[in-house]
Amino acid sequence: MQLTYTPEQQAFRAEVRVWMETHVPKEPLITLECREGYDQHVAWERTLASGNWGMVTWPEAFGGRGLDLIQWLIFEEEYFRAGGPNRANQNGIFLLGPTIMEFGTEEQKARFLPPMARGEVIWAQAWSEPGAGSDMAAISSKAVRDGDHYVITGQKTWSSRAAFADWGFGMFRTDPESKRHKGLTFILFDLNSPGITRRPIRQLHGDTGFAELFFDEVRVPVENCLAGEGEGWNVAMATAGFERGLMLRSPGRFQATAKRLVELYRKHADEASPAAREAVTQAWMAAQAYAYNTYAVAAKIMAGGKIGAEASLNKIFWSELDRAMHRTAMHLLGAHAELKRFDDGSINAWLEGYIFSLSGPIYAGSNEVQRNITAERLLGLPRIGAG
Amino acid sequence: MDMLFTEDQLALAETVRDYLAGTHGPEVLRRLDVDGNRDPAIWQGLVDMGLTGLLIPEDQGGLGMGLADAALIAVECGRACLAEPLVETAFVAVPWLVAQGRTPELAAILAGTAKPDLPHAINPWVADGTGAALTSVDPLRNLAAAPAERSDDPLLLNLGALMSAAQLVGLADAMLAQAVEYAKIRTQFGQPIGAFQGLKHQLASCAVAIEFAKPVLWRAAQAVADGVDSADVHVSHAKVAATDAAQLTSETAIQVHGAMGYTYEVDLHFWMKRSWALSGAWGSRAFHLRRVDAAVLGGSHPIGPEHTFA
Repeated sequence: MQLTYTPEQQAFRAEVRVWMETHVPKEPLITLECREGYDQHVAWERTLASGNWGMVTWPEAFGGRGLDLIQWLIFEEEYFRAGGPNRANQNGIFLLGPTIMEFGTEEQKARFLPPMARGEVIWAQAWSEPGAGSDMAAISSKAVRDGDHYVITGQKTWSSRAAFADWGFGMFRTDPESKRHKGLTFILFDLNSPGITRRPIRQLHGDTGFAELFFDEVRVPVENCLAGEGEGWNVAMATAGFERGLMLRSPGRFQATAKRLVELYRKHADEASPAAREAVTQAWMAAQAYAYNTYAVAAKIMAGGKIGAEASLNKIFWSELDRAMHRTAMHLLGAHAELKRFDDGSINAWLEGYIFSLSGPIYAGSNEVQRNITAERLLGLPRIGAG
Repeated sequence: MDMLFTEDQLALAETVRDYLAGTHGPEVLRRLDVDGNRDPAIWQGLVDMGLTGLLIPEDQGGLGMGLADAALIAVECGRACLAEPLVETAFVAVPWLVAQGRTPELAAILAGTAKPDLPHAINPWVADGTGAALTSVDPLRNLAAAPAERSDDPLLLNLGALMSAAQLVGLADAMLAQAVEYAKIRTQFGQPIGAFQGLKHQLASCAVAIEFAKPVLWRAAQAVADGVDSADVHVSHAKVAATDAAQLTSETAIQVHGAMGYTYEVDLHFWMKRSWALSGAWGSRAFHLRRVDAAVLGGSHPIGPEHTFA
């Protein structure tokens, strides 16, 4: 165990810091859940790519820098220190990208990864269906083979970024006789294909980030299938592992929130309750614990280890931490908490953040599902329904 | 930057775990409970493994290992609910005596003939001491009133709190394992109670608390080992996180055991009571929370994403 940075790591941090201080927009971007804000965020993706900061851990051949996970953590820390915007392309670079690297053909890697790294193609997820939410194996949207195409018919919903994104990925049932986890195939598709209708869904905060997708005999070339027909479940589990495990929520994000919360507390210290004070201290401790754990997981992966079902612990922890921090902020703000904009005209980011934090325990597999996975796969308790 | 134990470190901890699992099971705790609390043969076994010399420098005849190694093994002592004062002696007193330059006192500890629990102002007692006896809720804990002369050295406090936190993590792990085993075999309504989500989700929450207390513990152990300025904050953070994980797990574990958990017959109570004792030892939760609070809200400790290891 060695908990100090090398001179090279420190130099890398300095390099990222200078770039971020120069390039991160001075004014916070508008939420990416609306057209104007989405365009701002895509522009930011391209600015990042211009500095070759799109995805630092990817191999150089695919538009990355070939850096290790410790350097990735340093990058993320500096990104959030500088107040870097949310990543419009997180579905691509953090989830689909690693999935393509693990399961894709060389041709698929060359075709999909570089435009993703350059921020040219923004990706949406298409997992859930009206009848398949937490129970993803209940997927019923069909992809029927017709020559060198699949013909997709069905419906996806709660598709993150799908209101505005360029491409989507998801699972479809290619074997009509199959049940549950079998007969599913992981397919990438152009969201502007004929036969796809997007219906943006107005979210809790009033904006439209995710969407319903209707597929009416959409023709998708078979070469857009990842890892072979019928392999969809294994691919999706790997993607979900990336999502819950390491990449989606780097600790810097929560450490930055904890720091803002401490600053908010100091402003309201006179009227704050002792319980709020303790919650603020807890927030800092939990954000730090999450960071230490991420460094430990990174070290484990760099030594050849893998993330398994413990990714579920991670997802429970960060999502409930994020909600708790924003809840505490709402308490501290008191009567100001409900204002969408403060008296000085600035956006109430705590309110926006609190609303967003309520989605954390729901998306990427609800925390109830994560607790089932933890209980059954990590603790070895009997499966539901086992007699 | 490498937050990982080596294979050797993990193998040593596993050896200690296996040894204690084989020689210090619940039946031993029950025997000690009715038969004087201490057994020279158990102590001698620990001495023979070299554990009293784990942190004694090699030129003094010890193994010369570090506090992170000791924390890993203290977790195992907690897991086994070890009653002998190995942690107080070998992982708290030894590194403090070394730091004080009191090397002549190490030989007797190495040989197993001295078992000092050094009196500190934070504790109103010493474990396995010679003063007037105090009665702990933990039936295997021998407490004696602290002598008038007590240290107020912050390093000693940090070592004691760090190693208490390590034992609490091991106790929590063990209590979770006991609750899981019970939930698998106890059937009601025609199925193991562990198949009910109401229990699964509570036990999963314990797993989360324990999983995220561990890296805080390792960070604290390394901070004390490296002598960093912010070691107080990291130790206190570890003590709070370990206390919370152990408290949540003990309360969940007794609930999972139902009425059986409320009896002296089920093993759980030994672990539960040790966790109550160690939660208050070497600085209460309130004491440690206040130390973190003072540094973080007070502004002396740098915070933010770029200060993960500040």
